Amino acid sequence: MMNSMSNIELVKDLKARYKIINADVVRDTQIAVDVTNGDVHSVLAYLKSQGWRQLSILTNIDWIDDGEYQLVYIIFNWDNPIWVQVRTRIDRDNAKFPTITSVYPGAKYYERDVHEFFGVEFEGNPEALQQLFLEGWDDMPPLRKDFDAKAYSDKKYSKREYTTDFNTKEDEK
Amino acid sequence: MREIKLFLGPQHPGMHGNTSVHMYVEGDIIVKSYLLPGMLHRGFEKGMENRTWVNNLALIPRICVVEPDINEMVFAMGIETLTGMEVPERAHYIRMIILELARISIHLMAYGGIGGPTGHYTMMYHAQADRNTILDIFEKITGHRIYHQYIVPGGVRKDFPKGIEKDIVDFLDDLASRYTEHRDLGIDNPTIKKRLDHHIMLPESVVWELGVTGVGMRSSVNKPYDLRKVTPYARYSEIDFHVPTSDYSDATCRVDIKLQEVVQCIGIIKQCLAKMPEGPVRTKLEGNGLRWKVPKGQVYSAVESSRGEFGYFIVSDGGTKPYRIAVRGASFPQGLLGVEKYLPGQRMDDAALWFDTMGVCSPEIDR
Repeated sequence: MMNSMSNIELVKDLKARYKIINADVVRDTQIAVDVTNGDVHSVLAYLKSQGWRQLSILTNIDWIDDGEYQLVYIIFNWDNPIWVQVRTRIDRDNAKFPTITSVYPGAKYYERDVHEFFGVEFEGNPEALQQLFLEGWDDMPPLRKDFDAKAYSDKKYSKREYTTDFNTKEDEK
Repeated sequence: MREIKLFLGPQHPGMHGNTSVHMYVEGDIIVKSYLLPGMLHRGFEKGMENRTWVNNLALIPRICVVEPDINEMVFAMGIETLTGMEVPERAHYIRMIILELARISIHLMAYGGIGGPTGHYTMMYHAQADRNTILDIFEKITGHRIYHQYIVPGGVRKDFPKGIEKDIVDFLDDLASRYTEHRDLGIDNPTIKKRLDHHIMLPESVVWELGVTGVGMRSSVNKPYDLRKVTPYARYSEIDFHVPTSDYSDATCRVDIKLQEVVQCIGIIKQCLAKMPEGPVRTKLEGNGLRWKVPKGQVYSAVESSRGEFGYFIVSDGGTKPYRIAVRGASFPQGLLGVEKYLPGQRMDDAALWFDTMGVCSPEIDR
């Protein structure tokens, strides 16, 4: 365990070790680094060995105009309180990425969640292909930007037709 | 012995919210189990993308039903980081009072909830009665009992009504005077204690494997891993409080830590009331709220909820609506992975106690 680092020192440390496309200091307790696809595992494994033992969240952003997905891994170190956003961009049409469950076992369900809502396939985590929240879902993954919730609901559920025949006396006849 | 398939929940006295545990039991030992979530999936993350930043204020508290204020807090904190909005000093203290009152209410609810699976409903009634007083206080402050929509970007919606400080202090004194009574009914009661002691242990290695935070983590790791201490938000850095911890995490210990936290909350609120300065409580948004834009950026903001680290990952593309918001439900690890990896080997009547003592909120898992 190394001595506690400030957010700026951590950015410098990561820049010295890996090819960092872009690095931001979001605020005093948070930094963000954009890394190449190949570096994600080694950056996460390195940070985990330095005390970033908790995966806070794994999520995805759909940048539809660029035709890309951005995977975001947010990890936290309780002894050196800095959240690190490790971000990488993958192709939107062929969304595949290796699983990180070997580094963070807790990612298992987050990967399943991202697969369900964005269709990203995590290689090496077959369970991530199962449905989790959306039972019997039959359309494209719903958090994609091109999914239109209103159109889906119009297509899926027929409009209820209301009859205004309240003439009960007729029935009594 | 034959293996039997069994469902716990969604309708069960020991279950928290509409979620269900699907388990295979042999005798009364769980062989395999997993959570069946999705019954409360209401598409919040998609819904938030379709509403303006200000409209979202009415939507977000509904993500966690029992503890809605943390949603407002992380949303406001995230926007303040992106916009650089200043929060008035008084608003920080009001926010802390609201958050701590909410923490007391949910700890009491969770404590009373143990009455369900252990068959001792009296403790539930007592705890709910005290929670009800807190809801009365919330109603006086915000106008709402459950979903307050009170913490907004730039401060809080309005100042405290006159004389509310007395109501709060009266309630806190009343609760403190009956603290031992609550304990005697619950964890100091030999029948309940016998049921909880040395049951559903949570070893430290499991904490790190699952990514559990909050009471579960602190009861096992024995370090004050509380975001209020580790990365103080609002004005927690100026408040003197203690984070109860332990290194033997059985069910009793976790319940005990929740009750000790209630005592700390009482102290925090009293200090806040004493230190709270006079002044404005809200920085007004610039321009029309419905056309209000948040600068481009990606920020993760988190607070310590009663169940652990609760956070929003907020992405703005500079528009009037959020581009993406991802919710980190605090009970995601213990609710999904915990049930799958940790419940096998335990007795089936301990499953409900796992939910109670670890704190699992199904609406925030499903979103």
